[in-house]
Amino acid sequence: MNENLFSSFITPVMMGLPIVIVIVMFPSIMFPSPNRLINNRLISIQQWLVQLTSKQMLVIHNQKGQTWALMLMSLILFIGSTNLLGLLPHSFTPTTQLSLNLGMAIPLWAGTVITGFRYKTKASLAHFLPQGTPLPLIPMLIIIETISLFIQPMALAVRLTANITAGHLLIHLIGGATLALMNISAPTAMVTFMILILLTILEFAVALIQAYVFTLLVSLYLHDNT
Amino acid sequence: MPQLDTSTWSITILSMIITLFLVFQLKVSKYYFPEDPKPTLVATPKPVTPWEKKWTKIYFPLLLPL
Repeated sequence: MNENLFSSFITPVMMGLPIVIVIVMFPSIMFPSPNRLINNRLISIQQWLVQLTSKQMLVIHNQKGQTWALMLMSLILFIGSTNLLGLLPHSFTPTTQLSLNLGMAIPLWAGTVITGFRYKTKASLAHFLPQGTPLPLIPMLIIIETISLFIQPMALAVRLTANITAGHLLIHLIGGATLALMNISAPTAMVTFMILILLTILEFAVALIQAYVFTLLVSLYLHDNT
Repeated sequence: MPQLDTSTWSITILSMIITLFLVFQLKVSKYYFPEDPKPTLVATPKPVTPWEKKWTKIYFPLLLPL
């Protein structure tokens, strides 16, 4: 039971070849590069969506922060497309792998912190001590702020992994329950099937929301540090 | 839990770095958002000088009775 449930989260290897490379690179095929002056509808719609999202997301940043526009846009496209493609049956979702999410979160968070240290050293260090703290509390508060700073990349990675993994597991379990209940009593199976449909709609939303949340938090950390 | 099997971590992280930092950024960097074209002011037409209002025979030299 244990082995069966988690088998969709094993990194795919076909005959010794790591095809996880191909699977991670696959969503980029869904975004063709614009080569012409006037592009086809798919590219135009994608460009328009990227423009909409980037305007929304970059409005809070100053000049320095807006140099991260390309990074943030490709981040949200990568996570969103990977999550959505993972909702297809029997597909492998790379964002369920803790390795991938850690590999995304740690460099991006470290980039924002190092940017803050280089350009606004005093202000970024001042984040460790909120204004107006009483004197005896200062050492404890600095420890707490340091811990909360270092937990940011871990939280980013684990949040994305846990949400997507939990959603996929729920879909597996409820789908299996529906199948098993079909022979026992059809109305209960119908109810379970309704739950499955609602869950799938939720998972579509979660796929997009998680991408958004990840990117938004990176941009927030960036805002603190530019 | 298969996600904690660290033997596959290096290849996953490597493929993610290639995809995210190379492939996607190359694609998105090619997006362009053209400026909204401004409508040009309609040029006011040159006022017609009085002697050009009437087109007389002398404007056609070849038709002069010579």
